Amino acid sequence: MSNVPIALQGGPAPVPSRVGHVLGRIEYEGYLLAMIVVMGLVLTFTVGSSFWSSTNLSGLLLDVAIVTVPAIGMTLVIVTRGIDVSIGSLVGVVAVVAGLAFEHHLPFVLVLLIGIAVGVGGGLVNGAIIAWGKVPPIIVTLGTLSVFEAITYLLLGGVWISNIPAKLTQVVVIDRLGPVPYSFVVAVALVALFSYVMARRPIGLRIYAAGDNPEAARTAGLAMWRIDLFVYALLGGLTAIAALMTVGQSPLVMPTTGQNFELTVIAAAVVGGTNILGGEGKVVGGLLGAFLVEIVEDAAILYHVNSFYQQIVLGAMIVGGVSIGVARRRRRRTEGSLE
Amino acid sequence: MSTTQLPTSEQAPPGGATAGHRGAGALSRLLESRVVVQYGLLPVVLVGVLIAGEILAPGVLSPSNLSSMTRFGVEIGILGFAEMVVIIMGGGGIDLSVASTAAVTQVSLAVLLRGGIELWLGVAISLAIGLALGALNGFFILGLGVPALVATIGTYFGYAGLALVIANGVNIADFPSSYLTIGQGDVVGIPVEFIFIFIPVAIVLGYVTSRTKFGHEIRLTGTNERAALLSGINVRRLRFSGYVIAGMLAAIVGVVESSRFGTAQPVADSTYLLTAVTIAVLGGVDIFGGEGTILGVVLATAVVTIFEYAFSLAQINAVIELGSVGVMLIVVVLGQVGLKSLRSYAARRSSA
Repeated sequence: MSNVPIALQGGPAPVPSRVGHVLGRIEYEGYLLAMIVVMGLVLTFTVGSSFWSSTNLSGLLLDVAIVTVPAIGMTLVIVTRGIDVSIGSLVGVVAVVAGLAFEHHLPFVLVLLIGIAVGVGGGLVNGAIIAWGKVPPIIVTLGTLSVFEAITYLLLGGVWISNIPAKLTQVVVIDRLGPVPYSFVVAVALVALFSYVMARRPIGLRIYAAGDNPEAARTAGLAMWRIDLFVYALLGGLTAIAALMTVGQSPLVMPTTGQNFELTVIAAAVVGGTNILGGEGKVVGGLLGAFLVEIVEDAAILYHVNSFYQQIVLGAMIVGGVSIGVARRRRRRTEGSLE
Repeated sequence: MSTTQLPTSEQAPPGGATAGHRGAGALSRLLESRVVVQYGLLPVVLVGVLIAGEILAPGVLSPSNLSSMTRFGVEIGILGFAEMVVIIMGGGGIDLSVASTAAVTQVSLAVLLRGGIELWLGVAISLAIGLALGALNGFFILGLGVPALVATIGTYFGYAGLALVIANGVNIADFPSSYLTIGQGDVVGIPVEFIFIFIPVAIVLGYVTSRTKFGHEIRLTGTNERAALLSGINVRRLRFSGYVIAGMLAAIVGVVESSRFGTAQPVADSTYLLTAVTIAVLGGVDIFGGEGTILGVVLATAVVTIFEYAFSLAQINAVIELGSVGVMLIVVVLGQVGLKSLRSYAARRSSA
């Protein structure tokens, strides 16, 4: 019996007797929200006029959107006990393919679809090797990281792509609801959609089950390969959306486009409460994590902190976020055994 | 799906003592043979790389090329040792932060030397810094229980930032000329760092990991953690020491690298990690722990070095070369996993 609550952690339909655990979850997300608010207040009282300027605010929201969208997929991947460090270089591949498609004057929407298809394809490659090769995800994605980088380089052929249509920038950056760019609206909509999927659809329950106890899930007849293919392909597709947003944000495709992006996304997911040990994590946590990571970065810019320190802070957030998750799991295990 | 939690019972016994006796089929005997168990696909890849190298860059194995290659291979080889030590102990062990550790140690050394400190003392302090950073990794992983993968992604970032802060973001070039001998001098045509650093490190590690109690314990821990615990091994302390060793080895690489270039670079070499993990795995280190030899890693270092050197002789871009190393990594691990399941299949059939 003591194993059951873990299967449902962060998962769907809270059972009444588990109210305490659910409160635990709310506390964590509330805590994140409080940290974001505190950061916002501090920024308001110190550099308020530049923080609340519409340029800074919509820039921040766009950055949050770009990290949040793949963080949804990363959350699901980590829930299955996986990881994907290749998405930064996948951003490069998608950006180049989209850039080349734009150069060939393909219709706008078709280019977006091609970009997403490329992302899904890249994710499927990862998922297939992980699912059928039984190779640890870190090894697979470390390998594909450099493969995707090489593909980007080959496709770029040593030149940068700069004639990205203004329409993309218009859609991604300029079109807004008040100060909120449409990209952010898209990110929130995707978070809502996948929160629903994870909490209410069978695939969501399967993903939690697969991550919580792979042995049991396999014994229960769950097709693990399907889950692997699904989460990595989804992450690939969402990464492609982020890549298209990135190209809209800075309409230039270079060999370094997307570099180190995977680390920000992993940071957002783990800071958002997704447990690296698997089986537990909420999509909305990815949004809050992305918000926290990006607001810290924004603060660093507004305070003119040397960018070197940002890396240290991001590293600390990753280790810190994960240790909190591990400590909570440990405490719950102890409580569980006392029940 | 992560397979790092693979039950150890699925692992074939090293050397195949039990299954090999019962094994009747030739296939089973081949799969259980010492070469296949210890080195996996290495011989095949070695032949493939030699052929590919000769096609890409005819004359790649000329004596003068071999001499420059040994220089280049020292750094990635030692990082391969570092990965071997942490991977072999199992439990999802890996160290993704080695390149950043090397960056921190080389800029620290440069700053110390600029401050007028004695060369030997500066090197000693840099190695101590590597040890400390490795210990910090060990603390996060074994003290706080953060999986190695994520802990060292975090410290990869953190240490990279630290290196930039120490160097103030710029390369530091004022090394005394005596220091440059380590990475630029040679003795009878053989690079100094190969004779006086790589070979001794390989011999010491080879001895420690195969002939000592420590070596026996890390293998047992990697093969069967529970058995290791039951036989009284302090698994946590053992794994902790693995990260400390990895940090030290990364520090050695930082020292050699900065001496070879004559400058200390605060920006970590992002190609190191992939290359180091590929070398370890190609050298027969079981990605799930328990198996691996220094000799295998040394041979794999030679293979990868020849491979990379042929690419650069043929003037193929480094990004493409690294992509090929990535393909090599995936193929080798797939082969390793495939061999293992083939082996247990053959063992099952012959014992049935």
